[in-house]
Amino acid sequence: MKIFCIIPAYNEEKNIEETIKNTLDFVDFIVAINDFSSDNTLNRLNKISSDKLKVLNHPINLGQGAALQTGNEYALKNGADIIVHFDADGQFLSEDIPQIIEPLIKGQADIVFGSRFMDIKSDIPKFKKNIIMPIAKVFNRLFFGINTSDPQSGFRAMTRECANKIIIENDRMAHCTEILAKSFKYKLKIKEVPIKVLYEEFGQKFSGGINIIKDLSLKKIKG
Amino acid sequence: MIQQIIAVLLILLFFSKILAQWKKKTITNNEFAFWSIFWGLGIIIIIMIKPIDRLVLEMGFSSSGISLVFYMSVMILFYLIFKMRLRILKLEKNITDIARKITLKD
Repeated sequence: MKIFCIIPAYNEEKNIEETIKNTLDFVDFIVAINDFSSDNTLNRLNKISSDKLKVLNHPINLGQGAALQTGNEYALKNGADIIVHFDADGQFLSEDIPQIIEPLIKGQADIVFGSRFMDIKSDIPKFKKNIIMPIAKVFNRLFFGINTSDPQSGFRAMTRECANKIIIENDRMAHCTEILAKSFKYKLKIKEVPIKVLYEEFGQKFSGGINIIKDLSLKKIKG
Repeated sequence: MIQQIIAVLLILLFFSKILAQWKKKTITNNEFAFWSIFWGLGIIIIIMIKPIDRLVLEMGFSSSGISLVFYMSVMILFYLIFKMRLRILKLEKNITDIARKITLKD
């Protein structure tokens, strides 16, 4: 079973090397997508010598959602059976990869989402935990029928069949909700597993949340 | 009266720009026809503002003709902005598709 890990990177020169090196042991192949970074991300990526790493380079900045879709397409073309989406900024722990892919290997799920709220392993900032996330959960449930413990999980794994069905159309940060929404829409077998997230200055700000709602609304109107 | 003259002069100024663009062939005949009709209607409305006022009153609206024209213009502008947003989304999607093809080809 070929396991591919997709890591989009935009201006991640500080964390990218460590993230890739930590992840190599847990997957068969890593696809790192440099999303037209203006810092040394690409140089850092090219410095890593591993047969298990493929670096793709966007000619312009497209956004995290677009980078994940590029990675999915590459992985599918190269025979991936399972695709893992992972952040480059070091907030996720690569040790959590085996438990996120386990339900896929056992055939218990088509897509597995890492959840920060199932076991409270992560030290989530209070504003995010008590204000942003509850609003996002209500928004997801009302507009997209999504019912998960974590409304904005970026750590997920899916089967090949699932990646073929879920085409990510939101180029920027709204892809998280889009993937969740499509998983429910296509009636896929969904599972959540607890993950730990390290918080420093990672993740969405409140303004980022507003942008997500704006992008999703426009896509919904457009159909 | 002076306001009407200024408004007509402004429209003629806008129209001259469109005429220049059409002569340079940066806009198509259809676009030129659309904007000619658009600004032509603008001039008619400005010249006929008093009869329009009376018509608006007869139709039961409490505002003056110029106010009604203004409200409708705002509504049309909002609609055009919305249409432009959708068109930009479509363009963005095309750009993404092209950039992805280049990326995966390399």
